[in-house]
Amino acid sequence: MNDILLEIRNLHARVEEKEILKGVDLTIRKGEIHAVMGPNGAGKSTLSAVLAGKPQFVVTEGSITFMGQDLLAMTPEQRAWAGIFLSFQYPVEIPGVSITNFMKTAVNCRREAQGLEPMKAGDFLKLMKEKMAFVQMKSEFSKREVNVGFSGGEKKRNEIFQMAMLDPTLSILDETDSGLDVDALRIVASGVNSLHTPEKAAIVITHYQRLLDYIVPDVVHVLKDGRIVKTAGKELVDQIEERGYDSITE
Amino acid sequence: MHKLYVIKPGAAMPEIPSRFAIEAGESLDMTIVVMPGVSCELPLAVELLGEGAQANLYGVYVCGTEEKVNISVNLSHKVGHCNSNQIFKGIAGGKSHVSFDGRIVVAPDAQKTEAYQSNHNILLSDDARVDTRPQLEIYADDVKCSHGATVGRLNEDEQFYMRSRGITLKEARTLQMISFVHPALQGIEDEDLRESLASEIEDAIRSIL
Repeated sequence: MNDILLEIRNLHARVEEKEILKGVDLTIRKGEIHAVMGPNGAGKSTLSAVLAGKPQFVVTEGSITFMGQDLLAMTPEQRAWAGIFLSFQYPVEIPGVSITNFMKTAVNCRREAQGLEPMKAGDFLKLMKEKMAFVQMKSEFSKREVNVGFSGGEKKRNEIFQMAMLDPTLSILDETDSGLDVDALRIVASGVNSLHTPEKAAIVITHYQRLLDYIVPDVVHVLKDGRIVKTAGKELVDQIEERGYDSITE
Repeated sequence: MHKLYVIKPGAAMPEIPSRFAIEAGESLDMTIVVMPGVSCELPLAVELLGEGAQANLYGVYVCGTEEKVNISVNLSHKVGHCNSNQIFKGIAGGKSHVSFDGRIVVAPDAQKTEAYQSNHNILLSDDARVDTRPQLEIYADDVKCSHGATVGRLNEDEQFYMRSRGITLKEARTLQMISFVHPALQGIEDEDLRESLASEIEDAIRSIL
């Protein structure tokens, strides 16, 4: 049991009075990559928003335990400190805030929560440089305002850059393949793959099989109308690709 | 030469002239910063009297308790070929009350005038109030003028994005507000002075959160 990272039990959630998740169960262990697939409107993005703690999403029933802690009792920033990272489907633009300042604040907020001194400027810049190279970002990237004027590919690479900087235990990739050309997809996927270790886990949320050609899941779930209707190995991806979501039944 | 006036509690109110007459080829460059804890009246009347005269006015105000800050700018383009630019940005929290009256008058013969004004505000509480009244009176026909005024709140999607990276809500709000007012410091050319003032404003913002 010790290797369980995340345990979701009978999760119900709503946004603006509309119930989206209607009893989700999901267990994720160390070292596993899970794919959550499903048609539009199934609740995939709601699941990722609830895991990250987006305020507009209200959990009405059920529980989420992350590394033994009650995740639903934690603020979004506490979840990040505990090791959860959400790669956004639509990364948010923050005018006037540079990538450097943004990341420095993120890294040092976590260090403060852990009772550590702020990271030394030299160490921080070295870490930035290393992780920027990792996602093939040029050096001027660090001076740009967060996501402002970024192309779709740059935004997703920026998400993976932040993931590399924060070194999370559980990464949730929400439709990371949307809006990516093949080259950007390869950079993003190889980034995710090389960050993966036997101690970590990832949830890859996607509509299409394309990203799963590059990030190979151990377990595949199909989410339909707010519930996981089928769980199987990666062969399920091929079935969906050939016969569509309508072919998947409980 | 650029003039910087910082109005803060515990310090003497700086003597800011209320009338400026700018002659041909001259330039008025001024930044006014109002820190939390002071109420003030700032009436500024600027006349551009000779061709090529310029006025660049910048202002930042941060209010967090019961301050009353009244700013009124009366900027008069008397002759043609003059430029004016105004950027005022502010934050109103607590039960503070800010009013901004910005009037630009372009005289009938003041052709080739360029006049810009913006006043953007963030409200931090339901009890704070901002009244912004931009007015343009243009009597010439060959001019470039614009004005913009907004009163809004901090963007919650930005806050959630930052928090999901481990930035606390307080730090997220501070980052948002600093980046919001920063464009109004662009008139300060001395980079060290600008950054030390920015960090003083950051401290002021933290003090009202």
